[in-house]
Formats: sequence, structure tokens, C-alpha cells
Amino acid sequence: MVSGSARVKNKNGIHLRLAGELVKAATRFKSQITVSKDGQEVDAKSILGVAGLGAECGAELLFSVDGEDEGQALEYLIDLIDNQFAQETG
Amino acid sequence: MDDARAEQKERIFNGISASPGIAFGEAFVMNVEDLAVSEEHIAPEQVDAETEKFLAALAQTEKELQKLVRSLEDEIGEEHGKILDSHRMILKDELFRSETIKMIKGKKVNAAYALSLVLDKVLTTFANIKDEYLKERAEDIRDVRRRVLRNLLGQRVEGITSLRKKAVVVARTLTPSDTAGLNKKYVLAFVTDAGGSTSHAAILARSQGIPAVVGLNDISKSVRPYDDLIVDGITGQVVVNPAPETVAMYREMQARYNELEKNLLTLRDYPGVTLDGHQIELSANIEIADEVEDVVSHGARGVGLFRTEYFFITRNTLPSEEEQYRYYSSVVKRVQPDPVIIRTLDVGGDKIARWVGDLREANPFMGWRGIRFTLARKDIFKTQLRAIYRAAAHGNVKIMFPMVSVLDEVRLAREICEEVKDDLKRQRYVIGERPEIGVMIETPSAVAIADLLAREVDFFSIGTNDLVQYALAVDRGNAKISYLYDTLHPSILRLLRDTVAAAHKNKIWVGICGEMPGNIYGALLLLGLGLDEFSAASYLIPTIKKIVRSVTYDETRSLVRKALAMGTAREVRELVDRFIHEKRPELREFHPEAAS
Repeated sequence: MVSGSARVKNKNGIHLRLAGELVKAATRFKSQITVSKDGQEVDAKSILGVAGLGAECGAELLFSVDGEDEGQALEYLIDLIDNQFAQETG
Repeated sequence: MDDARAEQKERIFNGISASPGIAFGEAFVMNVEDLAVSEEHIAPEQVDAETEKFLAALAQTEKELQKLVRSLEDEIGEEHGKILDSHRMILKDELFRSETIKMIKGKKVNAAYALSLVLDKVLTTFANIKDEYLKERAEDIRDVRRRVLRNLLGQRVEGITSLRKKAVVVARTLTPSDTAGLNKKYVLAFVTDAGGSTSHAAILARSQGIPAVVGLNDISKSVRPYDDLIVDGITGQVVVNPAPETVAMYREMQARYNELEKNLLTLRDYPGVTLDGHQIELSANIEIADEVEDVVSHGARGVGLFRTEYFFITRNTLPSEEEQYRYYSSVVKRVQPDPVIIRTLDVGGDKIARWVGDLREANPFMGWRGIRFTLARKDIFKTQLRAIYRAAAHGNVKIMFPMVSVLDEVRLAREICEEVKDDLKRQRYVIGERPEIGVMIETPSAVAIADLLAREVDFFSIGTNDLVQYALAVDRGNAKISYLYDTLHPSILRLLRDTVAAAHKNKIWVGICGEMPGNIYGALLLLGLGLDEFSAASYLIPTIKKIVRSVTYDETRSLVRKALAMGTAREVRELVDRFIHEKRPELREFHPEAAS
């Protein structure tokens, strides 16, 4: 199992649509992935879970990834957050 | 049943009038999420069937959303479609599916109850989110729950698409996605818990010419389906299960109102000209392009204020040049050769956080808004101006800058206009060559330098709503001091007089856009002050026209001379009352007290 963290930079935080983007990304990997904020841990493949974290701009997200593609998955997800979900400018 | 009916007491709710008129009808209550879903126990052999029902409802909802995504993308742009895409992801959410199925199996309960429990738990976590914006995403989850429940419960729950006969639509709130599937010819009136006069329901109602009352707090919970309602869009009252006397009283009011409206609309094709031949342009304010039909049907001459911010703030990303071009053009083409005055983006920091970052300001009304914002964000400004110049090729467009307080702002904005025009020409676009360029007069500073501004623009439009609040230093939303907010205050009349004088001395025209011309006092005084144009909500135009056509310019000028010598707003009001009483008693029907 690997873990790592990233800080949310999108101005409006991880709202529903970005939660959807994150889930879409996580679902591409076979590993089990959880994400937590302030001790609240959810399945990174559930949009209801991720949006329910209420991760505002500046919040730290901790990912734990377990499975055959864990390294790749962790790197991908952290990049996604760091790059502010790439296309999202707000 | 009859006994139950007899027991139902008449109840009155007070809200905000959002669209005038009086309607009678049965309630069609739209908010499924607030209907209690009851717990029903099922036999073990029913578990599979109940699970199937749940999955079928999800599949049905998925189909609906797919259809809606396509129609919304066509109607109002891709961004709205994307939001519904995340609704589709909620349907596919493993947590949601597996927990609900587990609940059906484990507790042996009906699917509707199981899924409500699961989503309630999710909503509890949302309630704990501190960030207000993220917390509000709970609305999306309620929206999905409502859709699934509707499919699960079939005919037992009202969905807006199931509106098959005329009714009063009662809802907590109405979004464009709610009303997308609505058959508008069955709607007698809108009644909502939330919202102000610029909410979606209000705008839709005005464009359909039906009454609406908003801001009723919790009426959607108190009203039951098929309750009888009277909606009074004039005073903002809703009567639930009215007594026969009340019905009779409102029938009479409705007849009077309809008669008045009919008489007013006979003036539709006549100009706004006084008995002694002084003409004034009567045009309409609009928030969204769809309202243009309303402008035409009420006999307004063009659009005197096209507020463009609504198009920007109802989405998550900036609209592209093409989108804006198509949007503005639709209005320009519909009313040409009459003019459309397009006001460039007038947003305050509070409204635009979504795409420019957090802009919370201690005092947003004195903050980064209007031209101050667009001059700082030239990318946004230029894109909008490009779209406006291109739309100007299709008719009579004028450009107006909001919130101007210093001369440099006008000069800079005009320079950018020239730049944009040159770029467009180089790129071989067809554009409107010389749209008039004007400014809003809404800060006391702009009034003080009106003579300087008048030399550099083609017209003025006075925004009374803001000018009054800046000049009197009164926030009219503040209940403790709102009594001070008075458009008839002598200081306001003087500011208006000076602005008109500066404009006319420099041979430019001056109009007014705001609520002031909408009542008899404002209409008479503004006429006498020499304004060249009034722009107001479409539904007010027939009334204003009737007032203008009932008096002479001469007598309103002399009325204004006397008003300018008065010391208080009360004295001004009494003066106008005396004028109506002695000189034009036929105008008494427009007096605010005539309504009661």
C-alpha cells in the first residue's frame, strides 16, 4: 500500500463536478483507493463520498492506494489535484 | 371528504410580488423530496422484485438525464449539461447502489424508503461541511433523489412533466432544469419558497405573462396537492383554501385588473406622446434574451437596458464569444429597427467568485464592480465587446458602461472599443460600424462631472436604484433605515435635474432605467424633468404609456418646478397627489392606494 497527500488549489474546492472528475480518474485503476480529509475517510471511487468531504480550497487530501497499480494511481491522482484538474480555471 | 374540506381554514401567505396578475387554481406541489416517503415492510420473497424496481428506476432516471443533458446543451450551453453529467455519476455510485440494495435486503423495506435513508445519511455529511459553496452541492443530491423517487413511485408522485391540466405550480425553488420539462401552457402561476424578483421563476413568469409570488419561506410544505389557491402577484399574497367571500373579492379584483390590462394593451402600437405632442421613448429592461417576446407584446420600443450579467453568473465558466454573439444577436434581430442598449458586464465581487477567485469584499457596493472590473479583466471585456460589435451588424445596438465614476474609465473603455473594432475588421468580421456609446449615471460623482462625461459619450442612462442608495447613503435592504430610501427625496430630484441639464447642453439624449418610472409619482416627475427615454420592466410599459398620454408636458414641467422647491419627500408626494386630484383625476386608478 502507498499513500500521499495533495493540497486543493481550485478556488471553489472539490465541488460535485470535480468530485466526478476525481472519481472518473480513480475508477481507471484496479487498486482500492481511499481519500481522507481531516480524518474523514471515503472511497475515492464514490462521487457521493468524495463530494461529501467538502474539500475547500487549501484543504489537504490524503490518498491511500492498495493494489497492483498503486504507484501509478497515486501519482496520477496527486498530479490531478496539483494541476487543478487541468482544464478547470475557476 | 366534504367534512375534511369544510375544516380547511383559509390561510394567507405573504411573499414578494415577482410578476403581476391574479390567478385561481389547484396547487401542483413540485417538491418530491419533502414528501414523506413511508416505511413499508416487504416479505422476504419480495426482496428481489423490490431490488429490481430500484435498479429499473435508476435506469429510467439515467435515460431522462441523458435526454435532458442534450436538450440543455442545445438550449443554454455545454456547462449546464456537465452539471447533469455529475448527476448521472451519482446514479452510478457504487456506495449508493450497494447500500440501498443492502438496506432492502437487510431491513426488508421498500426501495423508496431504503434509498431515502441512504441519501439522508449522505446529506448529513454535507450538512457538516463548513464551506458554504460546497455545502450547497447537497441541492444536487436532492435533485437526483427527487428524480429517482419520481420514477420509483410512478404516478403517485407529481413530477413537473406530469402536469397535464392547468394548475398553480408550487415549489421550494425552480431551476432552469426543473422547468425544462414543463408544459408552460398548463401553468396558471408560480409560487415558490425561495427567490427574489430576479429568480428564474420570476423571470419565466413575467415572460409568460402569468402571476408569480416568491420568497414565501415554507409554503411548499404547508400546501397540499389540490389545495385551492389564489395567487395575487400584485400585492405578493397567496391565499390557501380561500373562503367563498375571499374568492368573490378576488374575482372582482381580477376582473378589474384584466379590464385595466386590456385597456392598457390597446395602446400597444401607440407612441409615448403627451397631450401636447412631446414624445418620449418607452423601452424595456431585460435580464435574459427570452424576455424579448415580452418587450414586443407590451409595446415597448426596443430594449433600454439589456443586463448581460445573468448570462454570465448562471454558469460555471465564461461564455465564449460565439455563445455571446448568438445570445445578443437573438435580441437585436427580434426588435430591430428598434434599439437594444447592451450594458457591459455589471458584476460585483460576490457574484463572480466562480471564475475569478474568491472576491469577498467588506463593502461590495463600493467595491470592484461594473466598469472597474471589466477594465481590470480586459480579456473578459474584449470578448464581450467583440460579441456586441458583431451582434450590432444585425440591427440597432448601443453600448453602455455601468458604474462609471471617473472620466478616465470612459476614455479607456472607448480605446478598447476601437481596438476591438480594428481587430474584428482585420479578421474580416461583419460588424455594426458606429453603435452609440453611453454611460450609466449611477454614482453621485458621475452626476457631478456629467458635463465632462457628456462631451465624450453619445447618451446617458440614469440608474436610479443605485444612484438613490449612493446619494442618500442608504442600503434599502437594511430594515432599520429603509424608510430613508425615497426616490422622491429633493436631493434625488436635483441630481436628476443636473444630469438632464448637462446632457441637453451637450446635445446628447438622457434616459432612465430603474424602478422609478414604474409608479405614478416617478413617471410624472421624470417626464417633467425632461428625460428623453424611460426604460422599465416590460409589464410596466403599458401603465407608463397611459400616464404619459394622459397629461401635457407643460403641466408636468410646472409640477417639477414646484417639486424642486419642496423640502422633503413627503411634501413632493403631497404636491403630486394634489396635482392628480385637481388636474387629472382620471389618473387616480394608477395611484398606489387605488389598488386596495
